[in-house]
Amino acid sequence: MATRARPTSLRERASVASRVVLAAGGGYGIAALATALLSLTLPLARPEAVAVATLVSFLLMPAIAVAVFAMRSLRRAALSLAGVALVLGGLLGLAMRGAP
Amino acid sequence: MKGRFRTSMAWLHVWSGLVVGWVLFAIFVTGTASYYRADITRWMRPELAQAPPVAAADLPKVAERAVAYLERHASKAKTWFIGMPQPERPLLDLFWRTRPGAPPGHVLLDPRTGAEAMVRDTEGGDFLHRFHYELHIPPLWGRWIVGICAMIMLVALISGIVTHKRIFADFFTFRRDKAARRSFLDAHNVTGVLALPFHLMITYTGVVALATFYMPWGVTTAYKGDTRAFFREANWITAPRPPIGRTAPLAPLGPMIEEALATVPERLERLTVTNFGDAGATVVAMFEEPHGLAHTPTHIAFDGASGALLEIRGGDLKPAAKTISTLIGLHVAHFAEPGLRLLFFLCGVMGSAMVATGLVLWSLARLPKLDVTPSFGLRLVQALNVGSIIGLPAAVAVYFLANRLLPLGLADRGEWEIRAFFAAWIVAALIPLARPHRRAWNEMSMLVSGLCLAVVAADLAMIEAHPLRRLGEGEALFLWFDGAMLALAALFAFAARRIAQYRGPSRTDRWHEPVLAAPAERARA
Amino acid sequence: MTPAILALNLGLSFAALVALCLSLNRHHAEIFGTKPSGRRVVLLRVLGWGGLVLCLLVAGEAEGWGFGPVQWVGAVSGAGAGLVLLLSYRPRLVAPAGVAAVGLAMTAGLLLHVA
Repeated sequence: MATRARPTSLRERASVASRVVLAAGGGYGIAALATALLSLTLPLARPEAVAVATLVSFLLMPAIAVAVFAMRSLRRAALSLAGVALVLGGLLGLAMRGAP
Repeated sequence: MKGRFRTSMAWLHVWSGLVVGWVLFAIFVTGTASYYRADITRWMRPELAQAPPVAAADLPKVAERAVAYLERHASKAKTWFIGMPQPERPLLDLFWRTRPGAPPGHVLLDPRTGAEAMVRDTEGGDFLHRFHYELHIPPLWGRWIVGICAMIMLVALISGIVTHKRIFADFFTFRRDKAARRSFLDAHNVTGVLALPFHLMITYTGVVALATFYMPWGVTTAYKGDTRAFFREANWITAPRPPIGRTAPLAPLGPMIEEALATVPERLERLTVTNFGDAGATVVAMFEEPHGLAHTPTHIAFDGASGALLEIRGGDLKPAAKTISTLIGLHVAHFAEPGLRLLFFLCGVMGSAMVATGLVLWSLARLPKLDVTPSFGLRLVQALNVGSIIGLPAAVAVYFLANRLLPLGLADRGEWEIRAFFAAWIVAALIPLARPHRRAWNEMSMLVSGLCLAVVAADLAMIEAHPLRRLGEGEALFLWFDGAMLALAALFAFAARRIAQYRGPSRTDRWHEPVLAAPAERARA
Repeated sequence: MTPAILALNLGLSFAALVALCLSLNRHHAEIFGTKPSGRRVVLLRVLGWGGLVLCLLVAGEAEGWGFGPVQWVGAVSGAGAGLVLLLSYRPRLVAPAGVAAVGLAMTAGLLLHVA
């Protein structure tokens, strides 16, 4: 909004586009990883764990999207998301190896 | 830092709202109408208004009539869906699919004779309801688009709350006499904030209603992708049973239905029969949910070959499963009796208004000075705004009108009603392109108002049993429906008048002040 | 879910919202021409929030703690929409309508008590 008065540069457009991609892809990706992980690891009966994990995922997704747009630098947002995804993915790999 | 955060959230709110606004408006309007889906369906099948309800004691016989029809016409289908007679639809509603890709079979039977019912072919309120979550495009695409819109709506709600600094101070503020932009901003805030709990609830629960479709990864890891096994273990449904491969006749349904009716006090809604003709055939009776917030319909499964009761599911859910059922229950609001239903409907109307005013606000905030040609982007948004905000109500009115005016014997009549709906929407979206923008708003609002009046006129003209033609005797539903149409006509006529009264933008107006800019930006402006 | 409880909820929440609305300088001035005094603001806010809490308690007790809160949220949203429209089109009627809403709530409560 604030940038409306002057023409948007290509650089700004690219930055916005990457944030959109990061928020959508990162949001869904992390929510998906978290759901898969929690479904296997929550100390509840199996259907309960899946139900809780799925409910949480739909709160996680918008929260991540908002966070991506709130963070000052795009690089920091991308790195944080990649870090979280890496940790979740690693844990999920371990959990799946442990699962029967 | 705080100012910067707010600026980025304002930006996020404006743009996330804009990109999904038009689809979201359609989802909100058709969803709001779906609170009265059963009534709309009943209105659209006026032949049934006088039909007496089917007594519970007759249901076993009625089910056997349905099976007799399906044995003759759908013996190859893997699953039969038998909708039992309901108060709003005292007919048997049969549905089956023979093989993937082939058009499904669908027929309505008179429960008393088992013959095809003499009733006009229409999708009724079910069309609006399905449009609400599938948009009348291939379901896979429609559901994903609706889901993505809902997620972005959640983002827009969160960023909107963060952006709105004076929630309490502006709680009651609607300055209608000030400049157009000011009153639209007020209307957007008021409709958003007053029904905020509803907006958050309806958006989140809407996604939860298709939870394992959007987020199947928990089921993938914990159940190897078998969604039905998850539903079964959570106690929502009875166990799926595969065919055995040995033929066996289907036992008579009558005794099974009698046993089911004796076990569950709620109303029997539908039956599914799977693997007809196989020794592994299953009959599942599904009941209306017990009164309560949670959507927990009882399911009873019978062995199709022997008629023995297999299991009863749906009650005694564990906490998380119960939470999901409650969230879905809140979304569909089956529990709401007339007064509360009206409040839900009102909240839905406020949601639609919030989306609509938000969209208009975007274009109002970007109106150029009088001597500058509007940009392509602005003109596109303006055209889409009229096309959706006025076009959709016009299309719904034409849908109702087509139901009354199309010849009863027309082949594929129900399909023609839907074609009329989309044709009207396309025309209503194209006309404004040829008219000056503000004029287009005014004329199209008048048009919708006229169409709503036409629905009432057509209802009166075509329905001989209309209470107004019988000195008040007969089905009160027609009066309620026509009353609602008159109210809509008045609303759109009022809107048209207001649009005509607004001053156009002038050089002295501060049209360029960004509505949502941070205080620092505003001070500079 | 009897209509009487819904009427009670609507009346009570409308009256409470009127009190909260009048505690704001802008709306008080719109209706009475002056800003409210400090003491009045406190009184109106206590009445308003108290009314909303009371409304929730009544809804919860009468409808159970599943339905109660749902009905409460619905009633507050509905009453709020009515109040905003009234405030915008007939501001003079806001204060009398608040009193009438209390009357409605009391009548509904009385009916419930008798029944």
